[in-house]
Amino acid sequence: MTVPLAEVNVEALSIFAVIVAITLAITYWASQRTKDATTFWAAGRGISGAQNGFAIAGDYMSAASFLGIAGLIFLFGFDGFLYSVGFLVAFLVVLFLLAERMRNSGKFTMADVLSFRLNERPARVAAALGTLVVAGFYLIAQMVGAGALINALVGINFSVAVIATGCFMLVYVVFGGMLATTWVQIIKAILLMSATIVLSVWVLGKIGWNPVDLFNRAEAQSDDGNAYLEPGLRFDNPIDTVSLGLGLVLGTAGLPHILMRFFTVPDAKAARTSVVWAVGLIGAFYVMTTFLGFGARAILGEAGATGGVDEAGNLAAPLLAQEVGGGDGTFGGDAFLAIIAAVAFATILAVVAGLVISASGAVAHDVWSNVVRKGQDSEHEEVYVARIAALSIGAIAIAIAVAGGSDLNVSYMVGLAFAVAASANFPALLLALTWKRFNTTGAVAGVLCGVISSVGLVLLGPDVRSDPLINLSQPGIISIPIGFLGCILGTLLSKEESKAERQFEELHVRSETGIGAERALEGAGLTPRPRRPRRPVPAGRAAPTT
Amino acid sequence: MDRPGLREGRNMEQAGTVTGPAHHEEIDWDRAADSSEFQELESRRRSFVLPATIFFVCWYFGFIILAGYAPGFMGESIYEGFTVGYLIALSQFVMVWVLAGLYLRQANRVFDPLARRVAERTPGADAYIGDGPDAGAGGRRTGPSTPTGDGEQSDREVTS
Repeated sequence: MTVPLAEVNVEALSIFAVIVAITLAITYWASQRTKDATTFWAAGRGISGAQNGFAIAGDYMSAASFLGIAGLIFLFGFDGFLYSVGFLVAFLVVLFLLAERMRNSGKFTMADVLSFRLNERPARVAAALGTLVVAGFYLIAQMVGAGALINALVGINFSVAVIATGCFMLVYVVFGGMLATTWVQIIKAILLMSATIVLSVWVLGKIGWNPVDLFNRAEAQSDDGNAYLEPGLRFDNPIDTVSLGLGLVLGTAGLPHILMRFFTVPDAKAARTSVVWAVGLIGAFYVMTTFLGFGARAILGEAGATGGVDEAGNLAAPLLAQEVGGGDGTFGGDAFLAIIAAVAFATILAVVAGLVISASGAVAHDVWSNVVRKGQDSEHEEVYVARIAALSIGAIAIAIAVAGGSDLNVSYMVGLAFAVAASANFPALLLALTWKRFNTTGAVAGVLCGVISSVGLVLLGPDVRSDPLINLSQPGIISIPIGFLGCILGTLLSKEESKAERQFEELHVRSETGIGAERALEGAGLTPRPRRPRRPVPAGRAAPTT
Repeated sequence: MDRPGLREGRNMEQAGTVTGPAHHEEIDWDRAADSSEFQELESRRRSFVLPATIFFVCWYFGFIILAGYAPGFMGESIYEGFTVGYLIALSQFVMVWVLAGLYLRQANRVFDPLARRVAERTPGADAYIGDGPDAGAGGRRTGPSTPTGDGEQSDREVTS
């Protein structure tokens, strides 16, 4: 029951080809409409709440969620499920504190909000730095993951797989901008949810429709016995567990590619609605990781760990699909494996496209237009620079992923991205929106402290060094307070900024009421075309989309 | 186009069209912030968000701390292989869905009408009154919103 490593999986390649063809058609459609900066960065602000909810889900649930969590549960049992819970609870922070305020205050990027009342150039550079560090680590992690997966599942050489993924990603972003990226993410979310539902139901059927029995069978199949259903297999240091929980919950609220999505909807109400849709979708998905992870353990057994499943556990879900489909060599098994492989591919494409467009926003809109050119360039120039920036960022990410090879540790890089987001981006954004005295020095100091402390702790920690100076694999519990402290001390130790305080009331009222918020473009979005029938409301909750 | 703020960016006043979000000097922000409507919006929002945040922070970190420091308790079986830890983990999902739903309802019913009243009472802010992008912008049809006015009511029907 090993995956055919040498031979190319033709079924999976054909499904890839279909997905790629559909997304390229969408990109062509989007490129015809992308003629100005607002369409390029924010899809003209014409994405509806429900559409944006699917897109957020597609932007957020990376291969680390789909394959990574299934693998972590397969390997470590309960500890793997901690990720599922943290990734979801994080959206309460986004919903309560940031989603509507971002939409009301900002324009294209996170830096727009941070620099609204601060000294524009230093604040923008700081926000751009936070964005690029987070997006960079996340992007490289996803590219390496893509290469390793496609290599294992489809039999294509690692470097070829990375380059192909990178090229599709760049086509979406460079030609189709945010409009194409959004629809790629929506399609991916639908594919991922459907595949996960089918696989979960199949697993349940296989074990006799008794979910509780799943745990018993998984426990029986684990060498760790009862410990498999207890916390502590992955993290023997309890501080790491708490630190991970903190980093996941606050990190999401500082992920630039997620925050950027709130600029694509017409108003704050749609931003709020989109988070509720996303919470429904993402929550349903993470509940189902139970069936994927514990199911893989119950059905594949310990043999799965020594046989087909790789060390990181990333192949647990695809191998589970192959097994429940009928096993290696059967039509059902191979077809299901091919479908899951294709969905994983779509998953990665949607996430990397979102990351690249947010990183190119930091370079083109923040650094080039507003710092270098001081807002004197044209929209045409900004979009042109954005495309060049996207190409360069994509090329660098591809180069690092190919050079680093499949040995790069993907999980610590994603963890690092969340830690930087939570320690550098989140404190500065939150305080800019809520603390009148907050000033430019505080923002710059906070971002720098957050980036340096989280990157530094990881470099000194056990994931990188064999003789760790600090025995903490999850930096959040130290680096997040350092980020906040940097903001607060930087502010209090520097002179009061009269402009920042004077304009606080504008930002304050604007962020909470939407007075003065950037408007949507005329004719953006799919309306006034006739609306399609509504999709079912997730989790029995009414989410008004009108 | 004599009303500022209807157009994207600061393209009317400035050479650059790619700057950050447009500032609106013509609106008296201090007065808007001091208005009783805005004060009420603030306090109503705070009285929902603060307790909800305290609740989810306690519930979530309680779970995380138990997972870190009391693995034996979390691994205790309630029914066959279904453990205490897994039950609390599932309760986090329910908590998120319920809190998100309650917030949505509260925002549609209470916060939005209050925000609209702040805009109505603030000179120069009338361009932003209404339900989404259709309002005040000369038949602008950009989003999925229903025409001004009806949207709020239909939302109430959906959410209640």
